[in-house]
Amino acid sequence: MHIMEGFLPWQWCVVWWIIALPCLMLGIWQLKKVLRTDREALPLLGVTGGFVFILSSLKLPSVTGSCSHPTGTGLSTISFGPWITVLICAIVLLFQSLFLAHGGLSVLGANIVSMGIVGPLVGYAVYRLLRDTSVNVYITVFLVTALADMFTYVTTSLELALAYPAEVGGFASSFVLFMGIFAVTQVPLAIVEGVVLALVFKYILTLKPDILIRLGVFSEKMIEAARSEI
Amino acid sequence: MAYRYTLEILAGIAIIAFCVLFLYTSATMSGAEFAGSDNVGSGLIAELSGTPIENFQPLIPQWEPPSGEIESCLFALQAAFGGILIGGVFGYWLGQARGRGTG
Repeated sequence: MHIMEGFLPWQWCVVWWIIALPCLMLGIWQLKKVLRTDREALPLLGVTGGFVFILSSLKLPSVTGSCSHPTGTGLSTISFGPWITVLICAIVLLFQSLFLAHGGLSVLGANIVSMGIVGPLVGYAVYRLLRDTSVNVYITVFLVTALADMFTYVTTSLELALAYPAEVGGFASSFVLFMGIFAVTQVPLAIVEGVVLALVFKYILTLKPDILIRLGVFSEKMIEAARSEI
Repeated sequence: MAYRYTLEILAGIAIIAFCVLFLYTSATMSGAEFAGSDNVGSGLIAELSGTPIENFQPLIPQWEPPSGEIESCLFALQAAFGGILIGGVFGYWLGQARGRGTG
């Protein structure tokens, strides 16, 4: 999902930075608030952030004959919401821009918007929609992580289609072409990511259910039900 | 109890299915180079804009790993950092749970 340095006109770089910066500020403010309230949230932040570090470094082959990487943003989206996830993604994307030439500083805003903002926001909307229903906790985690991953790539396609509309067919035609490269490749990866992170969530539930209850991630009743299920 | 490992089994099946899909694709798809989708996307940008790919220059100067090996090393470091965080925290939680007699 990385837009490479120099591949986005400067006007679009500015637009995406303007969107990304307030979200980053909100993330810093929320993180301070969470850590002030509950220091035990720090290890959970480490785990959820750790998965963003690991999964976004894995370039996996896919059905389109090209490789892509999962995003790993679902767990922190569920545990801490989308704004703290923006902050985690910004750190990972900055590392990749500075040391791996993946992305770049001018396009960092655009990459933060796709991986850190839109993907997690979609995931968070799904989580909020399902949290208080009878849908199984693990199915919720699966859907949130898979959709946060998918919509990251849909957003990258959107960003590129806006900057490079096709001569024939304009934005829509260009969007379909970029979706063919980014989103189709991502489908199997998003599914596997969803299942694996649902499993990881099970281990968090087993070892540290109290922090999830204190953070209000799921109700005590739902967590107890999930712990006894599988 | 019978369903205790349902998620582990599902994750195993998903990973195996993913590997099988990859092996099938790589064996049957002609011209599948498994390049990064980022690079394929950059190729499409060049095509749509009518600008040769080498004409896209960084807007902000950027350091590039001098070789693929060094790039792999840095990616591995990124993953290792994540792994250390996760392993460390799960170990800490397991220790806490055992201390409480629930782990």
